[in-house]
Amino acid sequence: MTEAAPLLAARGVSKSFFGNPVLRDVSIALLPGRVHALLGENGAGKSTLINILSGALPADDGAVEIDGRPVARMTPSEARQGGIAVVQQELSLTASLSIAENIGLGAYPRRFGMVDYRALAARARSVCALVGLDEPLSTPVGALPLGRRQMVEIAKALYREPRVLILDEPTSSLSATETAILTKLLERLRAQGVAILYISHRLNEVMALCEHVTVLKDGRVTADQPLAGTDAAGLVRLMVGRDPGDLFPRWQPSASTNPVVSVKDFSAGLARDIDLEIRTGEVLGIGGLVGQGQEDLLLGLYGAIPAVAAAAKVNGTSALPAGVPQANALGLAYVPADRKREGLHLIHSIATNLMLPDLARVPALRIRRRSAERATVRDLASRFAIKGDPARQAQALSGGNQQKVALAKWMPHDPLVLLLNDPTRGVDVETKREIYIMLRKFAAAGKAVVLLSSDTPELVHVCDRVAVMREGRLVAMLSHDELSEERIVAAAVGAGRQKQAA
Amino acid sequence: MNRSPEQSAALYWPVQVNRNNGLVGLFAVVLLFVIAYGVLFPGLFTLSGFAKFTQSWFPLALVAMAQALMMLTGGINLAIGATVSLGAVIAATTMSGPLGVAGGGAAVALAGLAIGAATGLIVVKLRLPAIVVTLAGSFIVSGAALLILPRPGGAVPDWLSNLLAGNTPTAFVILVLVALLWKLYMATPVGLSLYAAGDNPVGAYRSGVPVDAARIAAYAISGLLSTGAGLFVAAQTGSGDPVIGTAFTLNSIAAAVLGGIGFLGGQGTMRGALAGSLLLSLMISVMFFLGFTPVAQYVAQGLIIIGAVALPQLRRLKR
Amino acid sequence: MSATGSVAPRGTAILRSRPFLTFAVVAAVWLVAGLTMRGFGAFGHLRYLVELAAVIGLVAAGQTFVVVAGGIDLSVAAIVTVSAVGLPLLSVPGDPTGLSAIIATLALATAIGLFNGLGVAFLRVHPMIMTLAMATFLQGLLILIAGGTAISLDNPLVTWLGNARPIGIPVGIMLWLVVSAAVLVIMHATPFGARVFALGANPLAATLSGVPVNATTIVVYGISGFTAGLAGVLVLGMNGQGYVGIGDPYLLASIAAVVLGGTSILGGMGTYAGTIPGALLLVTITALITVVNASPGWRSILFGSLILGLLLLSGRESARR
Repeated sequence: MTEAAPLLAARGVSKSFFGNPVLRDVSIALLPGRVHALLGENGAGKSTLINILSGALPADDGAVEIDGRPVARMTPSEARQGGIAVVQQELSLTASLSIAENIGLGAYPRRFGMVDYRALAARARSVCALVGLDEPLSTPVGALPLGRRQMVEIAKALYREPRVLILDEPTSSLSATETAILTKLLERLRAQGVAILYISHRLNEVMALCEHVTVLKDGRVTADQPLAGTDAAGLVRLMVGRDPGDLFPRWQPSASTNPVVSVKDFSAGLARDIDLEIRTGEVLGIGGLVGQGQEDLLLGLYGAIPAVAAAAKVNGTSALPAGVPQANALGLAYVPADRKREGLHLIHSIATNLMLPDLARVPALRIRRRSAERATVRDLASRFAIKGDPARQAQALSGGNQQKVALAKWMPHDPLVLLLNDPTRGVDVETKREIYIMLRKFAAAGKAVVLLSSDTPELVHVCDRVAVMREGRLVAMLSHDELSEERIVAAAVGAGRQKQAA
Repeated sequence: MNRSPEQSAALYWPVQVNRNNGLVGLFAVVLLFVIAYGVLFPGLFTLSGFAKFTQSWFPLALVAMAQALMMLTGGINLAIGATVSLGAVIAATTMSGPLGVAGGGAAVALAGLAIGAATGLIVVKLRLPAIVVTLAGSFIVSGAALLILPRPGGAVPDWLSNLLAGNTPTAFVILVLVALLWKLYMATPVGLSLYAAGDNPVGAYRSGVPVDAARIAAYAISGLLSTGAGLFVAAQTGSGDPVIGTAFTLNSIAAAVLGGIGFLGGQGTMRGALAGSLLLSLMISVMFFLGFTPVAQYVAQGLIIIGAVALPQLRRLKR
Repeated sequence: MSATGSVAPRGTAILRSRPFLTFAVVAAVWLVAGLTMRGFGAFGHLRYLVELAAVIGLVAAGQTFVVVAGGIDLSVAAIVTVSAVGLPLLSVPGDPTGLSAIIATLALATAIGLFNGLGVAFLRVHPMIMTLAMATFLQGLLILIAGGTAISLDNPLVTWLGNARPIGIPVGIMLWLVVSAAVLVIMHATPFGARVFALGANPLAATLSGVPVNATTIVVYGISGFTAGLAGVLVLGMNGQGYVGIGDPYLLASIAAVVLGGTSILGGMGTYAGTIPGALLLVTITALITVVNASPGWRSILFGSLILGLLLLSGRESARR
């Protein structure tokens, strides 16, 4: 392909948050008529790079160029005038506005200073047709399921008639049909000369759609090359910096296992009629597509949401915990997926975060013993290799270190059952490896570990058994010698029972 | 459910209809109260009875709208009562003087816009919490009201009092006009962006919405509505009183909350706020006619407000 | 920015902490005003200022707890009034000391606070609405109890509390000192205090960390009711009579003292150690404005502007939700 001039480019861009460098000297060039893949693990800096390219964040260093001209301190509206549109992973929609009003937001057609609803309807309808949205345009976005909102977000980007289209994990909550529509759409836009930056964790999509790839690892560009001649394993090597196999510790069965939690006909939130046995000495994986009730299963067991069961045995008692404090008393601990919203108190110090579960349990008015607390914090920090002064705010930590704090804070309880909700999401490779080793150690030490994960390889390599959920039900329980990515995915999409249109 | 493209050509009205979702219950309750009031006080259906009733509702309706605007931006305004007082004293001191009614009215409007815009600038640009800024602002504004008129006095021309608070439903007509102007404003890009700026400020900013401008404009309009309510109160009483607006701060919050406006920003509609203020106004009138003592009125009012807010939560818990 | 309940400030950190800075401002104002204005620096005058600050400080003690926990209590003024008006009516005839009336009053005030907490915790009513509705409710109750008349005090213990000066220091100030010590210990040296901070910073994370969120919320509002009730008793003692509206100045004052002291209105950060000088600062500003001999309008404008200015100087908070 002949080199056209890039429509949008970043040159030597750097950015850091709270003193943590997130991007270091990153360059990327988006050419017209090319689908460019941006790969990297969670936390590699992809979202930050997108925000800089779209003017939502200023770069600390380096320049953003539109049509070869550097733009100083670009704002989102300047980016829009430059023809840049972004499909955000965190949706930019407003629940109380209608589909059409969301699509036109920030760029409404006007007539006598008013929003021209007729023109808006016409233009919104045409972009909705492109992405296959057939709901009435007046439907409030808050009434749509997540996948449809994602399509609205895509339609919103198309409405801006972009020359550069950036898509941040657009397929994460889309069905197969919707993904197919999107793929076809992107191919058409490419033919029209639109420059497309495509971010996805689904490597097969990337292989099928993209021609060029830029790989970020820990904020640096580690590869910037055509995709031709690379295979999926090669891409993983570029992202991870090592062979995929090395990431996981060698699996060894534990010496003895013992049921510690068992439920019959358990229902909580989306989770329905689940029979499950959790055993000490093993890591039980919970897999499935995103949002099939896995999280509600953990939260229900943990007493954080209302749950019912025909029969339940939890660490010797024959009832489900009625609330979180009771679950803690029974030896259960839960590490949530969203560290920032659910796991940590970001504005509080690392030490405060580490001590909280303990302080939540001891008598309310006993005078705290600071020296003992400091010793505990020191011990936890060294045991989990948490870097930095424990008096610093938790928000100053990198994602990996935050996750370690969220896990370490339960250790003073010495929990028997650890319920982990996607603990490696947004965590760097080294920490991932450390976490895997820790989980196996917990199991070897006679604890029960439940690992809910959206990362199938991790289920295959770390777990003793994997339960797969679909539409709220437990549809498969795979023992270790049955485990493979194919088996898990097949159970997750229900491929065993019926063929689904791809 | 699915409309053909031809049918959905008109987008505006279906959008408006959808905004009534969740308000039907409130509208029904309001209707019930209107009927009860009509039965208790048949005079409601005469022209002057209707005029008197809408006059008792009017200032509360304006401040409920003002508060709803602030809550839509994700803030709250504790200076509304003081701003109402200021509007009242400006009206009472200027309108009988050389400025005349037109000049005085302009002064009232300008003061409201200026106070609102200044508050908005401080909150939005300096990133101070709205509750604290408006708390401090309430002292400044009520101080200004005391400066202009240290004790009740001044006068509003009789013809204006008769026009606004006499036996003709002028207040109702003005309220309809205000509601129409609001509809117009909500059909402008800045007005419509207010929802996005309150509900999802980061997403709105990334979409190119002028988030700061939308919020500051909301503050300014909120100030204008508050001083407008003050002008009306002055016309009602015929004179100015530097502390007459005090009760409006809390009543405006109560009315907005009854009307389904959320505290987190971007949730709720102006028709809800209007219905909420009407409900509050009706409640007070109905209780008065039923011979409730002031005690019982307060008690019932407190209980009803808590009940209205807690009810949806209880329903959710049951599910 | 400010203490969060676990990290002890060390060395220069103390000099940069909000409580210290607020104290420094108060000290500087006292020094300058004492040197330039006749009578301001007199022991009797300063003692009077601290005595006035004690009432605000007591109300603001509970308010600090509530604000740190992520809420706000708009019913404190009504509770102060209920306590000041209700105490004379609650006296038990057979008790010459008057202690039983105080206990009954404080129990009533605490119960009102606990009720606020119940609504916030279980009915999930927004704190502003719950406490506002409670204030409306109490207002009705007060008219029922007192009508429009002032109720005079006939309780030796309360009179002593409001007027006695053993070793030259008013009992009200001593009461404030004791309450301050207790509040600081509970806030910063007990697990309960840590839970309040956790609740205010991130209620969801606090729940998932095993913090008994509902119980903590209820108790926090109960504390606010208790301290407001205590302030009502003290005000009654100082005034000699209770009337409807006696507590009104203390709603805004308590919130202003909390915010001036550096506690985040968004919850999760702050300390009562800042509220104490915050209350002193408020009283001092009011006294200075009175000395300036301006009209009530200018006084109010000055007061609001000074609070706003102090906030601009120190209280910027980055947006967080």
